[in-house]
Amino acid sequence: MRLHPLSVPLRAVSRGIGLAWAFLIGGVALSQGDPVLTGGAVVAAVLAVAAVVGYELAYYRRFEYELTEDSLDIASGVFSRREREIPLRRVQNVDVTRSLVARLLGLAEVDVETAGGGSTEANLRFVSREEAGRLQEEVRERRAARERGRERRSEAAEPAGEEADLADGETTADEERALRGGRGELLFELSDRDLLLYGLLSFDPRLLSGVIAFATFAVPSLGRRVDIPNLGLVVLGAGVIALAVGVWLVSAALRIVQFYGFKLRRVGDDLRYERGLFERRDGTIPLSKLQTVSVEENVLMRRYGFASLAVETAGYAPGQSPSGGSEAAIPLAPVEDVFALARDVEPFGDYDLSRPPERARKRYVRRYALAGLAVVAAGFLVNRFVASFPWYVLVALVPLAVPAARRAHATRGFDVDDHHVVTQQGWWRRQTTVVPNHRVQTIIERQTIFQQRWDLTSVFVDTAGSRSISGSGAVAVDRDDGEADALTESVIDRALVAVGVRSEGADTGTGAVPANAD
Amino acid sequence: MERLDRRVVVVWLWRVAVFAAVLAGIAAAAVTVIEPGVDRVVAAAGVFAVVAAVGGLHVALRYRAWRFDVREDTLYIERGVLVSVRTTVPYVRVQHVDSRRGPLERVLGLGRVVVYTAGSRGADVSIPGLAAARVDDVQETLRRLAIESEPEDGEGDAV
Repeated sequence: MRLHPLSVPLRAVSRGIGLAWAFLIGGVALSQGDPVLTGGAVVAAVLAVAAVVGYELAYYRRFEYELTEDSLDIASGVFSRREREIPLRRVQNVDVTRSLVARLLGLAEVDVETAGGGSTEANLRFVSREEAGRLQEEVRERRAARERGRERRSEAAEPAGEEADLADGETTADEERALRGGRGELLFELSDRDLLLYGLLSFDPRLLSGVIAFATFAVPSLGRRVDIPNLGLVVLGAGVIALAVGVWLVSAALRIVQFYGFKLRRVGDDLRYERGLFERRDGTIPLSKLQTVSVEENVLMRRYGFASLAVETAGYAPGQSPSGGSEAAIPLAPVEDVFALARDVEPFGDYDLSRPPERARKRYVRRYALAGLAVVAAGFLVNRFVASFPWYVLVALVPLAVPAARRAHATRGFDVDDHHVVTQQGWWRRQTTVVPNHRVQTIIERQTIFQQRWDLTSVFVDTAGSRSISGSGAVAVDRDDGEADALTESVIDRALVAVGVRSEGADTGTGAVPANAD
Repeated sequence: MERLDRRVVVVWLWRVAVFAAVLAGIAAAAVTVIEPGVDRVVAAAGVFAVVAAVGGLHVALRYRAWRFDVREDTLYIERGVLVSVRTTVPYVRVQHVDSRRGPLERVLGLGRVVVYTAGSRGADVSIPGLAAARVDDVQETLRRLAIESEPEDGEGDAV
């Protein structure tokens, strides 16, 4: 199969504009009004555009892909050739992106992710919209067919839990598809009101750090220390608040554009989402490849009883996808709905999180108090050298360490049962992560010298999900040393049982292992 | 629990020495440019001595902290001076095992074993400073255990 013919002009334009521009601007600037040199720059720009068009034409002619029974084969490359074969059973995500221009032309970009390697494994720019849908659907169907075949081979005597569930739910995967014509079952749709709420509630105070960084740039340029009269202080305060509100509204608007028209469907064993106002994104999350499920609520969301759900596979995580935006399985919904869907996706039972030992809270009090004192010291220095203001007011921040520590203590914890590890952490954005035991890769216990003083250890439960790279994986923070060792041992034991290396006594028979233990 | 070969200290000390020499060179250059009234040889020697002393202490503590254990179903590694890290890797999660030998390690008859998993945080775990024979031994053992621990029906797919 070839790419869509219109992909040649689209690719050439998107690449050519920048190049031609660079040649023109650079050339004109260098020629300094000399007509001959300016003419040369124009010629060079035209040549560059011609080269780009030629390259894209060659790229199109030499790019071929084919979806076979069990793999996606791609032969590409103008100068150096590459032939790539991606086994369908290794495919993690298939994403379709349609930018505004592509939508007008009826085109779409297809990205196929597998677990290996850092970058996207297959990138088809561009195919027709129908072809993109076909690829997405065929990949899912062929993979599902293989998995069904394997399950059948591995005997009907042990009816895998999920299949049994599906059968209970009155339809099999085949009938379901026949019934719904491949569109699947609508699990969740973001209403306009919720979209607006999501924009407003998903504010991350870390954005303000950008404003502060800008301020530290701007302030030293004032030169020497200035005395700000009381009125000026009020104006300054109002300015800061206006700026904060501005940042908040801009971030809300960005979110709303990103998540406009969000829909989540279930097609067979895949979750499929689509979203976006100008650029439509349509991605699949295969549940058989699921690594972790996490429910996230920031302080504002929790206040109003909302939460968001993120489902992680090994291809990339929500947030690390090429788009950079959060592909959360559900951006915002009432907490109960989020948990209901999370349990639907990965059946986990009730959990009872155990909090870090009491001494950890004392540690947090000290830590936050020290941070508060650092702010006071910084305020004092600013007052001394930059601008005078009542810096001693900042001292009021220090006692806040006590409630802050209480909150930190109350948002950290973990629980282990036969099938899952559940961890919770996050002060502003509380994140409850559920890791199925059969997805555990390694367990890492870390103890810094500061933790050593308190005999506390953090336990990281590492999975193949790409999220943990950014440090937001499952962690049991600040556990007692002995407890951390016991936790490591029990998680490893259960993981070994879950993947079938070890068979434990009657209490954890293989029948109890979740069906999607792939 | 198994300790590393003592000779690994030489490898680490060599690295400290190179690092200290580079810093001493930078210090000498800086003194030449800024001219704070200190002799440049003294500055370089001072920086070298301090960095070497701190580095040497770190190496000693690092050697003392390092240990590993090839257990029945898992590989266990304990290391770290300022941050103590204890990693447990089930063999069934091992993707592949490398053995590596740098030039200095070859001269000393040492090598290192690197174990790769599909995990994202502890994706590669390495055991430095093993005697050459022990490297082959550990690599072979890990390879065998990784294959043996694979369940027959292939249900243990990492991802």
